Amino acid sequence: MTGDTLSPPLDLSALEPALPVLSEALMVVAIALPLVLAFAALVPAVRRALPHLLVFVPLPALIAALAVPRGLSVLVAPDPFRFTLALDAPGALLLGGSSLLWMTAGAYAMAYLRKDPARPAFMVWWLLTMAGSFAVFLVADVASFYLAYALVSFSAYGLAAHDDTLEARRAGSLYLALTVLGEALLIAAFVMLASGTADANPQIRDAVALLPTSPWKTPVLVLVLLGFTLKMGLFPLHVWMPLAHSVAPVPGSAVLSGVVVKAGVIGLLRFLPESVPLPGWGAVLCGAGLFTAYYGVAVGLTQRHPKRALAYSTVSQMGVVAAVIGAGILNGTAGTFTIAAYYAANHMLLKGAMFLAVGVAMASAPRRAWAVAGVAGLLGLSLAGLPLTGGAMAKYAIKLIVPEGVAGTLLTLSAAGSTLLMARYALLVARSGTEGAPPRGLILPALALAGLALVLPFLLFEAVTGLPAGVAFTPAALMKGLWPVAVGLAVAALLAWKAPRVPEVPAGDILHTLGFLGATGRTIMGGAVAADAVLRRWPVAALALLGVAALVAATLTFAVVPL
Amino acid sequence: MTGALLFGLAGAALVGCGVYGLLTAPGALGRVLGFNILGGGVFLMFGVVARRGAGAGFGADPVPQALVITGIVVAFCATALAVALLVRLCAVQAEAARGGDGDKET
Amino acid sequence: MSALLVLAITAPLLGLVPLLLLGPRTGERAALGMLAVNVAITAGIAERVAQGGRALGYVVGGFAPPLGVGLRADGFSAAMMLMAALVLLFTGLFAMTGPGDMTRKVKARGSAGMPATFFILLLSLACALNLAFLAQDLFTLYVALELLTFAAVPLVCLEGKAGQLSAALTYLLFALFGSVLYLLGVVLIYGLYGTLDIAHLAGLMAQGTGGATAGAALALMSAGLMAKAALFPLHLWLPPAHSGAPPAASAVLSAVVIKAPLFLLVRLWSDLAPLPLTQVAGPVFALCGAAAIVFCGVVALAQERLKLLIAYSTAAQIGYLCLMFPLAASDDGPWSALAWTGGTLHLVSHALSKAAMFLAAGLIAETMGHDRLSGLGGVGRVAPVSVAAFGLGGLSLMGLPPSGGFVAKVMLLTSALQQGAWWIATVVLVGGLLAGGYVLRVVVIALQHPDSDAASGRGLPDARECRWRALIALALAFGAMLVGFMPLAPLPFLDIGRPVTWEGLLP
Repeated sequence: MTGDTLSPPLDLSALEPALPVLSEALMVVAIALPLVLAFAALVPAVRRALPHLLVFVPLPALIAALAVPRGLSVLVAPDPFRFTLALDAPGALLLGGSSLLWMTAGAYAMAYLRKDPARPAFMVWWLLTMAGSFAVFLVADVASFYLAYALVSFSAYGLAAHDDTLEARRAGSLYLALTVLGEALLIAAFVMLASGTADANPQIRDAVALLPTSPWKTPVLVLVLLGFTLKMGLFPLHVWMPLAHSVAPVPGSAVLSGVVVKAGVIGLLRFLPESVPLPGWGAVLCGAGLFTAYYGVAVGLTQRHPKRALAYSTVSQMGVVAAVIGAGILNGTAGTFTIAAYYAANHMLLKGAMFLAVGVAMASAPRRAWAVAGVAGLLGLSLAGLPLTGGAMAKYAIKLIVPEGVAGTLLTLSAAGSTLLMARYALLVARSGTEGAPPRGLILPALALAGLALVLPFLLFEAVTGLPAGVAFTPAALMKGLWPVAVGLAVAALLAWKAPRVPEVPAGDILHTLGFLGATGRTIMGGAVAADAVLRRWPVAALALLGVAALVAATLTFAVVPL
Repeated sequence: MTGALLFGLAGAALVGCGVYGLLTAPGALGRVLGFNILGGGVFLMFGVVARRGAGAGFGADPVPQALVITGIVVAFCATALAVALLVRLCAVQAEAARGGDGDKET
Repeated sequence: MSALLVLAITAPLLGLVPLLLLGPRTGERAALGMLAVNVAITAGIAERVAQGGRALGYVVGGFAPPLGVGLRADGFSAAMMLMAALVLLFTGLFAMTGPGDMTRKVKARGSAGMPATFFILLLSLACALNLAFLAQDLFTLYVALELLTFAAVPLVCLEGKAGQLSAALTYLLFALFGSVLYLLGVVLIYGLYGTLDIAHLAGLMAQGTGGATAGAALALMSAGLMAKAALFPLHLWLPPAHSGAPPAASAVLSAVVIKAPLFLLVRLWSDLAPLPLTQVAGPVFALCGAAAIVFCGVVALAQERLKLLIAYSTAAQIGYLCLMFPLAASDDGPWSALAWTGGTLHLVSHALSKAAMFLAAGLIAETMGHDRLSGLGGVGRVAPVSVAAFGLGGLSLMGLPPSGGFVAKVMLLTSALQQGAWWIATVVLVGGLLAGGYVLRVVVIALQHPDSDAASGRGLPDARECRWRALIALALAFGAMLVGFMPLAPLPFLDIGRPVTWEGLLP
């Protein structure tokens, strides 16, 4: 089956909006509430109440995702600014999924950091990142998207670097450097995109519609792909991700890996045209995605810390998402973006739950840690697409987009790799027990999120693909889903029995071969400082003054312009 | 050789000397002197230019004279400020040097 | 005829009288009042220009140019005047003797209230700046520039330390060198055309009778202005002067003083020189600007002291305005107008954000007792408002939304790309990257834990930042953000009164 027959995504809302204004207000409040609370945290009374409120802050976003009619857009600020919000199917999937993760992880964070004196600062970054992540899924015009994207990217630094160890500082600095680079790539792309339209700040949809005929199609696509795959962590732009995601406190890692990377996904979905085939570009994106999917697994297998293994799994899974989007735009398959968002939302919940499980295991006695590892392993198998789990539905859906053939086979086989990596992760979780019993504040949110992650994909499948959920339960489909997992488990068993001694690849892998870049940078800086010292000597500067005058005079005199 | 040409050449020579002094003088005082010579050259040129402006049949063009006088006053102020700074700098440095010696003695 | 223009120049001087006659405290209040009046006057001028849709003019003594000297305010100069007046007022407030200053511990470090001399210089600056923005006569502009230098140089060495004195001396001498070259250019122009009035000269020059002499004159004047603006490679005096001065002085020096010669450079090439000449010379300035952005940006990254970092950042940011020259001078309708607006907005937002950053850096140094970056770990805890002001100001330098720097950057980028000037677009982006590097480096250090600075064995001092001063810095940073709410379109206000003419303004 190809994507041509996929019906457009249905309205996910269970609630009919009571008033049209209510829906619009919901979208605004979803973003404004965390933002306002972040600033209100300056007031000590609000700061004290925040830990109890954190769970409820994402509630408007969740309701918005469920109840706001698709395609509804609202102009928040009048004309010169044109801050517009709109909710479409991919946005709703990611908004809903992220609001659930923010809720559970928020409850978890308050228990996890209960003894941390820097908890208020963490909460402020948390709220800012949350506001940015909701905004990035909701905004509809180019300038506001850039603003939201910057907000979620820069605020996430506060989560990643919270622990302030030497490692966290290095990871945080690298993250910031690459974020600034990404912002520069994107602003160039957005300016080129917007200058094709009559409006200085067009709706993203209008600007992208003009892209296929734009004279700047190639540079825009290059910059958009580079900018957003940098956030998604596609090889070789993934170097920051294993570092940043593994140094953060556990709930921070959960939202970094779960939500923040999805800003890159929604970026690709928003800024690539869906229905116009872009064969070359799609092939490049699909190829890079597939390579990353395998690369993440290969490096992840050598990791000895469960959080780093999970971070590499995120690299790998974002590779899968990129491959799906690439295959979709290669053929211009309708429905690609909704399904890619569906898969991303599935990953969001599962990865969040798996990170939370690591924290639970680390607070548990070894025996309990094995029990946690059981749940963690189930989540991992769901991510790999074990039939009868929610993840299998997501895997089934993406197969609708990626055609049979080399890409399809590679994608199917990548599930075996995922299984292997998830087995490794479960083993690491099992070994990470220490002593004591985890507080209920950790267990309950983690369990709730795990339950949601396993169940929700079933409920959404029909709405997303337009197919009855039953198609995924036919024997053929079950077999198709089962064998990669079985292969992965078999290899895992083999490795567990007789594992080759492989040294741990340091997190950030190829980063360490790029050490010369740092040396080059220092050389350039040293050279510039030395040159500056020469230029700022009086005789040199005085000569330069005469030289500048002579240069301008010569330019004017010898130019072919009549004076 | 007309008077204008003579004064013009003299002005150019002064400008040249002034620029040379500003470029090569090792200390601030030399640069202040260079600035003054350069300024003198420019004012002389201004006077020469006034002759040219009189080409319209007037006896002379009075405007540049007013401007030159203003310019001389400004340049004088600048020189005074620069010298004052220099004197103060020398005093502070000398005091620092004495203070340094005093430290060594005690 | 609008008497407001004369008032803008004379009112700040009137403020000097109480400073000299009454005691320092009363005089200080009067000076602040006069700075507020200055804001009101400039706002009034801007309002009238916007209302009337045409320039305001005033001829001194009733002698019409070219014989007499005329003052003229168009949209561009009104915007610059208002910006300068606001920055001066806010720095004045920052520098005033506040409640509790006499008992504060930091008083010993000498950075609290400034001496009365500071307010004398501030008022002189206001007068010189207004004259530079209003004068229409090349020689009057020379006088205005010299007045500006004479007021700015003592600001550098207010505390009389050896380092400050030598920085001030270098500044003065280089600025004098520049102004003599400018004057030489003026002499050549007078010799050619027999007038120094910009409006008349523009008409004469457009007829194209100047030959190489006119080119040499323009080149000499431009070089002189570049020396006063510290445009790369003529920036030798800026880093020591701006980083050594007291914070309030650094703020006005970096924010507004160097903007006046830049403003005149723009005036020279957009109003005086005919368009074909500007199109030829524009790339030279853009080249200098590009070199400034990249080179000084890299040097700023390597700095170990906060105030030096900000000073080098100023040297880099000057370059953005120069990138505007070839873009605004091209005959490309809306895109050149967009570059024009972008460059001006960059000037304004840089002034506000840089003032905020220097004031914040001063408070940080006051709280910590030093401004070495390696020792500033955790300063965000003792000086949160200052660090926030620094960060928000830095947002504008990095060109991130919502800030004036973002809007200006988008406009310059759009204009550059539409005109196919890829190298300018690349420089704008690289400049943003470098600014991101040096701003975030400071913010990251400020957010770190203080105890991690174990090597030096220093904890955080028990001093607290001076809250109301920090709020003034924050207000300036918010001002830079407010500029970011400008629509992304050419601003008609800036085109009011161009091209320069006296028509309809004379009695």
